[in-house]
Amino acid sequence: MLLHIIKYKFRSYLKSTLDLRTVAITRGIGTLIVYGSFAYGMYSLAYFLTSFMLEHTKVGLHLYHTFISMMLFVFFIAVNLGNIIVSYSTLYRSAEVNFFFTKPVPFVKIFILKFFDNFFYSSTTLFIVAFMALLGYGNYFGHPWYFFVGSMLFVLIPFMFLAACLAVLVLMAIMKVAGKVGFKSVMAGLFILYFFLIFLFFKQSNPVTLVEQLNRYYPQMDKYISQVIPTFLNYLPNQWVSEYLFYCARGEIVKAFPYAGLILLITILIYGLCIFIAKRYYYKSWLVSLQIKSIARVPYNLAKRKFLDFRSKSILSPQLEVLTKKEYFSFIREASQWIHFLIMIILTALFALSISNLNLRLRVMDIQLLTYIVIFSFSGFMVSSLALRFIFPMIGMEGQAFWTLRSSPVKESKILLVKFVLGFSVVLLMAMFISISGNLPFARMTAMRPLLLWFGVFNAFWISLTMVSLNLGFGSFFANYSERNPIRAASTQGATLTFLITIAYLIILVIIILLPISSYFSTLFMFRQFDMKLIIIPGTVFGVISYILTVIGLITGLRSLRRDF
Amino acid sequence: MIELKNVTKKFGNFTAVDNLTLAIPKGEFFGFLGPNGAGKTTTIKMIVGLFAPTSGAITVNGYDVVKQPIEAKQSLAYVPDIPFLYDKLTGREFLFFMGGLFNIEKSVVNQRIAELIEHFEIGSWIDKRSEDYSQGMKQRITIAAALIHNPCAIIIDEPMVGLDPRSAKIVRETLHAKSQSGISILMSTHSLSVAEELCDRIGIINHGKLVFCDSREQLQFDKDRFDGKFESVFLEVTKQ
Repeated sequence: MLLHIIKYKFRSYLKSTLDLRTVAITRGIGTLIVYGSFAYGMYSLAYFLTSFMLEHTKVGLHLYHTFISMMLFVFFIAVNLGNIIVSYSTLYRSAEVNFFFTKPVPFVKIFILKFFDNFFYSSTTLFIVAFMALLGYGNYFGHPWYFFVGSMLFVLIPFMFLAACLAVLVLMAIMKVAGKVGFKSVMAGLFILYFFLIFLFFKQSNPVTLVEQLNRYYPQMDKYISQVIPTFLNYLPNQWVSEYLFYCARGEIVKAFPYAGLILLITILIYGLCIFIAKRYYYKSWLVSLQIKSIARVPYNLAKRKFLDFRSKSILSPQLEVLTKKEYFSFIREASQWIHFLIMIILTALFALSISNLNLRLRVMDIQLLTYIVIFSFSGFMVSSLALRFIFPMIGMEGQAFWTLRSSPVKESKILLVKFVLGFSVVLLMAMFISISGNLPFARMTAMRPLLLWFGVFNAFWISLTMVSLNLGFGSFFANYSERNPIRAASTQGATLTFLITIAYLIILVIIILLPISSYFSTLFMFRQFDMKLIIIPGTVFGVISYILTVIGLITGLRSLRRDF
Repeated sequence: MIELKNVTKKFGNFTAVDNLTLAIPKGEFFGFLGPNGAGKTTTIKMIVGLFAPTSGAITVNGYDVVKQPIEAKQSLAYVPDIPFLYDKLTGREFLFFMGGLFNIEKSVVNQRIAELIEHFEIGSWIDKRSEDYSQGMKQRITIAAALIHNPCAIIIDEPMVGLDPRSAKIVRETLHAKSQSGISILMSTHSLSVAEELCDRIGIINHGKLVFCDSREQLQFDKDRFDGKFESVFLEVTKQ
């Protein structure tokens, strides 16, 4: 039965993939180039980071793997949260599931099918990221080819799969409890729980503390590392992966194997538990999801005016007013939108507050430069993720109801303008918050000289503008009006391509700012006068590149809106 | 008035509408019939601006829909074959939304909505979100929304699908009254009886070409040439 369904799903996938029309082939080549460039970029970045950290900044093998463990924790939580949100749509709100429930297919098979569908669909890019990072990292140590295959198949994929299994278990638990106490209360509880877990993790193994320790004991970190690494980390899967890599890097394969075995064993056990629970509870929880949907609908109170009520007067023109209000209500009434947005705000706030307290003590230029570049890149990455998740699907989310706009006397530019202004305002606000927080430690370090703060504000403006324009434009170009799930829309091939383009843009920006920032720190440490030309010229190049990409994004968006619907 | 001059629409090598010329004068109720895939919806989508014609010209109220789309759409109302609405908006909010798109003042929209609610008997559920609506409810909201800006021309694709008998009667009477008041109507339908009952003129499209176009009176002669049924005329002109 399962194989029969998979066979037809695979056939359908092949038919849509093996399109031999010129347009499709051109698009395929374009995709290959972008994916290939991204993969190579990821490989180079991992290789460069490993060599830079171990040779240049001499953090030591142990501490470097502690950093890797932290990154893997963030990666694990990202995969886990992403899977909770996407699984809700695939397991409970999919038309395909509704179709299968009317056929004599065992519920657990439907569950397995949709679970794997969900895992592979939402993790394609993450597989590339994981494999290329592993390749870059492993090549630095000169690992043989079987290390890469083995580590991918038996360590990294099970690690990601474990995150996905836990996500589905959490989701079924949510449905179980939500049926009794209500969906909103459960989501609020879960939100607090995850927030608390992340807070606890970073409270106990604080990267800020680690950076401070690094500064204090530099350059002999490996000697003191055991004093700063908390023991509870040994119970987390990210630490197992990190330990496995650590022992492989030291050539102690026998010590690495138990960690790989542990990950594999725990993943198999958790998957078994998933199947066991799904067998008993999946169909019941699906029924609960229907019940939740009907309970969640609060009767409309005509007498009570809502915020941005359509009946209220507005200072905007009628068209701008209704377009804005439609965007607002479509967002605020879609649980998967506002919940995800809230999570991202909290994560951004956590990140921003954490880095704003960074205490950069030692005046070693390389460390400060590296910290600046890492914070800059990560901030850019957060803005890019935010734009991808919320801006890219904006046009596609019009859905089949887009006929209303296309057949009405509204200029396409006005439709784009409303979406752009709304998206840009939010992204800019968050980017500014991250940028100012990220630059505060450097401002403190330089006795509150404002140059880096202003440069950060300048960067945040251009990055937000470019990210929003590219995501809105390409979101319009790749719009699939039949896809009702914004999370799935943000993980399509077109979305991945857009994300890779924005990452390439970020890499170019890092290259552009590397020299001026390095010169700035160098003149500071040597008590010399900084030549402003060193920052004005790269800043202008930065602005020009961003401007060109912004225009490309907006023109692409506008042209795509005028296509046949 | 709606006018199509030598309009062609191609999708790659496939010609969906082939050199179509048609004029619907003020106040005429035009029935647009044809088998599945004949080009009815493509023609309609070109008139309302959802598709761009490959060649030819379309004007609404004297405005070219490609060159002056805003002016052309301002006087046009469109009801699609499948009434997709914004799921998260209520019916009332959707009507406000459509009123705003046509730049109507809030007080006027308020008054029109009240009239439309009464006319289409939608008051009991208009404040529910449209994701909870049945096909028929969505259809009624879409038709109401199309009339909110007092259009000069109405393009309506399969208006009776999903409607219960009472609603269908209201829609038929409304369209008839609008036509009588001077509004041009182009209605695509598969229901021969509805077309016969309502339309002043009927056109049949097949393989993208207009293969039949006659007034209701003329249609009677055509029917008499067969067995007196419109169905036989339809089958004959679309048999290829």
